[in-house]
Amino acid sequence: MPRSSSTADAVRPPEGAVLLERLRGQGRARPAVDPGLAGGLRDWLEDGLAGVTDDLAVDGGSVRVTKEALTGVLMCEAHLVARRSSPRNVTLELVRGSLVDALFRQWVTTGRLDDPWSDALGAVRVDGDSDIIGFLDAMTPDSRGDLAREVAEHAGGVVARWPVPSPSWLPRTQERLVVPLVGGRVVLSGVVDLAFGGPAGERASVCVVEIKSGRRRIEHRGDLHFYALLETLRSGAPPFRIATYYTRTGELDVEAVTDDVLVGALQRVLAGTGRLCRLAAGSEPARTANGLCAWCTALPGCEPGQERAGTDVPRQAGDATTDDDFSLLVETETGGAGGTEGDDRP
Amino acid sequence: MTAPPATGMSLALPRAGALTEALLTPDADAVGAEDVAALRDRLAGDLVALVEELPTGERLRLDGYRFDMAREHPERCRAVEGPFTPSPLVCRRAIGLNAMARCVRGWSPTPAAAVAEVLAAGVEDVADGGDPSSTRPPWWAGWYRSLPAGGRAMVEAEAVTWATQVWTALEWDRFAPAPIVGGGDDWWDCPGTRRLTLRGRADVRVRGDGPPALLVVGSGLPPSDWRSALGFPALVSALARGGSSAPCRVVGLWPASGQVRILPVDAAALSETAGAVVAAVATWVDGRLEAQGLPVT
Repeated sequence: MPRSSSTADAVRPPEGAVLLERLRGQGRARPAVDPGLAGGLRDWLEDGLAGVTDDLAVDGGSVRVTKEALTGVLMCEAHLVARRSSPRNVTLELVRGSLVDALFRQWVTTGRLDDPWSDALGAVRVDGDSDIIGFLDAMTPDSRGDLAREVAEHAGGVVARWPVPSPSWLPRTQERLVVPLVGGRVVLSGVVDLAFGGPAGERASVCVVEIKSGRRRIEHRGDLHFYALLETLRSGAPPFRIATYYTRTGELDVEAVTDDVLVGALQRVLAGTGRLCRLAAGSEPARTANGLCAWCTALPGCEPGQERAGTDVPRQAGDATTDDDFSLLVETETGGAGGTEGDDRP
Repeated sequence: MTAPPATGMSLALPRAGALTEALLTPDADAVGAEDVAALRDRLAGDLVALVEELPTGERLRLDGYRFDMAREHPERCRAVEGPFTPSPLVCRRAIGLNAMARCVRGWSPTPAAAVAEVLAAGVEDVADGGDPSSTRPPWWAGWYRSLPAGGRAMVEAEAVTWATQVWTALEWDRFAPAPIVGGGDDWWDCPGTRRLTLRGRADVRVRGDGPPALLVVGSGLPPSDWRSALGFPALVSALARGGSSAPCRVVGLWPASGQVRILPVDAAALSETAGAVVAAVATWVDGRLEAQGLPVT
């Protein structure tokens, strides 16, 4: 049945002024900042984590809580431990994501994308992620060509739909957020793909955007809420908007940041951090069957996982790249570009 | 002597107001020239004896990076230092400070515009390299010019993010006269030896009627020994410029974590930092000896 024009409009990806209007929430007053909110959330976290770090080794460093670690540990502790003890699993999807992230960053910073493939390669090489570079160098000409075409499609969508943000909005890309808790024994950290808006005064003023080159997933909301919490704790004021932009389809999910969003994120952080601290202290990881069991390297020794997967032989990356669970596996891969802090020399 | 506060700043929003206030508020106990002179003599005596133990032909330049490394990761002082490799992260401060200086002077409306102008000027200076009347290009410019468009964009993006974070952290129009953004580093050649130089660096130097206040921008989280980290540029500034120019306080800002630390600079703070410098130099001397397989005395 042909789609009616109104339906077509409803599903058409936002672009240009419409996209910006949705991000900026034009026509709506920015929410007032509760000056006690950030301090209250921090106190809540400190209270909730009191005692959780007691069993950590005194000189064992910090427990780092990222969006990937949170999602992973809440899904299955054993799977997270197995992944951390395995070599980094660089997949085509991970590489594509890095390339598209770099192109998006280039676009919003310079307003130019002349040759997406060449630009993306130049970006990842200067950023120095040797795993990504190694993967790209090892690709056959055919598979490189396929990836180049795919990356060009993503870039074309970004150029067509994303206006270059005005410098007066103070856009920042790959902005690092770090929040120490429990005297630095726990560190919440993240890297925001795009943030704009100056520091808040009486009203919230920052919008945070995450870029995804993969498919739309409900888990992405948890990532965004985590970043909203980090930004609130760091700056003293919550963002007024958080959004996920999907470069493949042009979909844009935008959400206002309410107290409920922040409290939900906080409770998720408390639950996940407690587990991460127990694992760091040497506790046996709990096994929870889930959609990633089929790819888990610990599957041969995991009964719940075998029941879920129906086999004791783990699947390899690339066996079923269209599988919805596989795309989550890619996104929970730890490490990768961004998030490192460098010293400025000379 | 009173212990400096861990933080002495209001958390009221916007935080730029409180941070600016922290740089503008003078401290009562400015360091006297005679205090600095006495400290210089004592420090030189301690350091000369240490650096004479360096392997033959070696000399040590202790900057903030190496000072931090000796305290946080002493094992790395044993490693052979590789060649310097530029990267977007490494260049962001140098480019970002130039951009902020343009904004302070009113030459550029925003950090993003200023960064683009600084990069373009750097490329131009490299291109004019053979012309003796042209400006000497900044250290990153040749490398930046050699990059493909995608690489250049990452350098620009990283610098814009850094500059914007620092630019929005202060209320610049409250400073009179305008602060010095970047500016030259402070160098102090240890008297009595040619083998040791201290190099201090501040990101912003706020001038007023009294001694200057310094802003130092850090990465990630404040180190546990943040007092020494902030004291180092103050100490080198005092040694290099003389006692009357010693800063009255150093404000540390770590934008990624929103953390601020304030170090009032008095004679005790400088003395404490001097002790940390002696320990850091000793760590480096031991590291260089071990790296060459020589006995550590």
